[in-house]
Amino acid sequence: MSVQELDLKQEPPCTSGLGNYLWSDPPDEKKWADCVHCGMCLESCPTYEQTGQEQHSPRGRVHLIKSVAEGTLQVNEQFIDPVFQCLDCRACTTACPADVDVGGLIEEARGQIRQAMPLTGVKGAISKFFLHDLFPHQNRLNTLGGLLKFYQKSGIQKAVRKTKLINVMPQHLVDMESIMPEVKEPVKKKYKDVKVIKAKGETKQEVAMLTGCVMDVMFSDINESTINVLTRNGNDVVIPQSQTCCGALHVHAGDRDMGRKLAKQNMEAFKDFDKVIVNAAGCGCMMKEYAELFKEDPEMHAKAEEFSEKVEDISKFLHDTGYEKPNAEMNTRITYHDACHLAHGQGIRQQPRDILLDIPGVDMVHMPNSDRCCGSAGIYNITNPEMANAVLESKMENVPDDVEMISMGNPGCMLQMAMGVQKYGRNQKIVHTVQLLDWAYQKEDRMKEGEE
Amino acid sequence: MRAKDRVKSKDKHILNLADIVGGARSILYLKVDLVAYDCDGFTIHKHLPKAVVFPKNTQEVAEIVKYCSANNLPFLARGAGTGLSGGAIPLNGEIIISMVRMKKLISVDLENRRAVVEPGFVNLKLTNSISDKGYYYAPDPSSQYCCTIGGNVAENAGGAHCLKYGVTTNHILGLEVVMPNGEIVEIGKDGIPDAPGYDLLGLFTGSEGTLGIVTKITVRILKNPEGKQTVLAYFDRVEDGSQAVSDIISAGIVPAALEMMDKTAIEGVEAAAFPVGHPKDIEAVLLIEVDGIAAGIEEQIDQILEVCRKRDVREVRAAGSEEERARWWANRKTGFGAMGAISPDYLVQDGVIPRSKLPEVLSRINQISSESGLRIANIFHAGDGNLHPLVLFDARIPGESEKALEAGSQCLKVCADVGGTITGEHGVGIEKREEMRFVFTEEEIAAQTDIREVFNPHNLLNAGKLFPSPSRCVEIKKEMKAQAIS
Repeated sequence: MSVQELDLKQEPPCTSGLGNYLWSDPPDEKKWADCVHCGMCLESCPTYEQTGQEQHSPRGRVHLIKSVAEGTLQVNEQFIDPVFQCLDCRACTTACPADVDVGGLIEEARGQIRQAMPLTGVKGAISKFFLHDLFPHQNRLNTLGGLLKFYQKSGIQKAVRKTKLINVMPQHLVDMESIMPEVKEPVKKKYKDVKVIKAKGETKQEVAMLTGCVMDVMFSDINESTINVLTRNGNDVVIPQSQTCCGALHVHAGDRDMGRKLAKQNMEAFKDFDKVIVNAAGCGCMMKEYAELFKEDPEMHAKAEEFSEKVEDISKFLHDTGYEKPNAEMNTRITYHDACHLAHGQGIRQQPRDILLDIPGVDMVHMPNSDRCCGSAGIYNITNPEMANAVLESKMENVPDDVEMISMGNPGCMLQMAMGVQKYGRNQKIVHTVQLLDWAYQKEDRMKEGEE
Repeated sequence: MRAKDRVKSKDKHILNLADIVGGARSILYLKVDLVAYDCDGFTIHKHLPKAVVFPKNTQEVAEIVKYCSANNLPFLARGAGTGLSGGAIPLNGEIIISMVRMKKLISVDLENRRAVVEPGFVNLKLTNSISDKGYYYAPDPSSQYCCTIGGNVAENAGGAHCLKYGVTTNHILGLEVVMPNGEIVEIGKDGIPDAPGYDLLGLFTGSEGTLGIVTKITVRILKNPEGKQTVLAYFDRVEDGSQAVSDIISAGIVPAALEMMDKTAIEGVEAAAFPVGHPKDIEAVLLIEVDGIAAGIEEQIDQILEVCRKRDVREVRAAGSEEERARWWANRKTGFGAMGAISPDYLVQDGVIPRSKLPEVLSRINQISSESGLRIANIFHAGDGNLHPLVLFDARIPGESEKALEAGSQCLKVCADVGGTITGEHGVGIEKREEMRFVFTEEEIAAQTDIREVFNPHNLLNAGKLFPSPSRCVEIKKEMKAQAIS
């Protein structure tokens, strides 16, 4: 089959591919060998739920990806839609009786598509701007963050004044608002000259922390809370300055070369540490899967596997190493949303819930289908707004009416759910699990100060 | 009209069908999308459909069917596509009518214990929708997490708990059907059970989509049993396990479910996503569930433990918690898909045998396995004698698919030879067409295709399923006669 027939925009670099996958790093045959097409994944898939169409279902996608390798289909324009409509939420991996790594196959297939048909025109420019020129560069992100914060702040103020929202909020939420740390500068910048942020009291161990790209700009208060919670529980915290974006967004978008570059930089940045603590589910999941990017490089593959062992989500780390239970009563009704890359990606479900339940006065209401994707999915809500909105709508239908907060462990979900709250006229506050714990600690401290 | 809603095809049938269902979002016609529909849970035969359409209501289904009939286009209905015998595979390049967007729970009538659903409604969702009121829908095929009730009707689906409660046909009270000429008819009107006249509900249930397309279903719902308990038993010898099954039934106990897995099946489920720690060196594991009035449960459990101990059980115990019971069932219910963990492909067979013949049948299946060089795992609804040999193979190795089909067929021959039959709950589909000859004579098959002709005279609806192709004398003679008349 000639290159022209395949409608390719780039010459394939080699002929060592697999079937009609002509580029290096093709989808892994072993991954689909486990799929027997039983269909147990169908109902777990948000895009199948929305469309009822099997090319938008996990087993359908696996079947199509396999069909390219077998030569029945080609990597062409038509192949893009089924592969890129996937939210990469991994719910199918949980549902699959044979543990088929559908998410891994999707990412590998995206890698082939982007090598065969690089994005051009406006789409290409936008993608290049976000993935190459913005996310890997902390200083540029910070500048953008500063601008965003300004608009966001003034916007919120206006809205609050106009709707008198502050008056309808229960008193203790207004209180909580007041104990919320002011939006600060990114922690990576803030602690630039601090080699080790020392534990309060006796040091149990030293951990390194990933500050993340979006997290540190939009949610530096969550990073601050993470540091507070870690140091309060006997951990010295180090923020290696040479760390960078985890690369998840790049890999989701099919830019595996950039993913590899960022992975190498992070593995180098964190090489002297035994634990790398992550508070963003998407980043943690990516870093635990770095080895996937180096299938064709045995040496890096082994290194990446070793590195992945050190990566740990903050909730699991606290749960496993122990933490002080706060004494202050928070008196709030909350619900918990399972971020896909925590629940499906890392199997972390109970640990964050246990932490929340250990806070006195927290009343936890069950959210039906709590591990259903919210539609954020990295930058999916930017690239596929229609599907993302449909998925968000069905998510919001499951948020219980009578809760004041929705807790979760991923910044992408937090932005998406905040949007959902606004769009569907709800009034829940969106919080990260460690924030609630940190606020409880702070309240306890203030109570103690008051007594003194 | 937005670009997304425009159908970019020059085929007039595609354009006309798109008009019926309301545009591009409800029709698939590009090759890449059609490939996702080239098979169902039976993956050995693959064929591309001409198009897939997604009707929203009965009227649209009727319109599509009328259009196909008028234009001589073959068509078939498909639910979640989890069928294991190939009933939804478009052998003749059919227009697939996907029923999955007709997925409403129309009404629940607790007083009269019935519910009305659209065919795309997922089996387990019915139980989930009524469980808080203390009710459930009994037929529970292992694919119940995602299979549709419409598909269950077509295949007359069974499940682990059908030993006590019966299969789908025992729970269907009424159907709305679009006939192959586009006419909409109601069978079993108002869901009144045991209506006089011929049992058309019985005829349609299990007709494998060859008589009409079901668009609305009235089902029986049951009150949750007051109590429920499950026993797990490990046996060193299959003979002891199967004798224990017979002993339990002989003791007058009617378990809600009585399941068995053999050594290879255990290896599969333990290597997959829901392992429970079954020992690797046992020959058989039994799962026995009893339900009913709470007061009687404990006594039955004691009786079951006693029976198993008499049959040299290695270990036997009742579930210590609801969580443990659920884990045992998740392990069993995902058993087919779990085979992916130990084999790239599998072919599941669906023989029925007299319970007492189990040791003999298993040893003959072992022989088929060693002769073919393919491993065969056995998952068994032991209580009602419904055996599922899972032939493990690798389709990438040339000739191995054929070998697997042959081994599967031999397993069914064994079942038929010992006085059983070739399918208990998965249907005949494409897979077991030829094996119909193990249990029916040519005349008996012809009598059944005569019935099909009453409803589906031009055989445009799901042709080539359920019966052997008319390559043999009787049907050929009949065709010649028909041609002569015309």
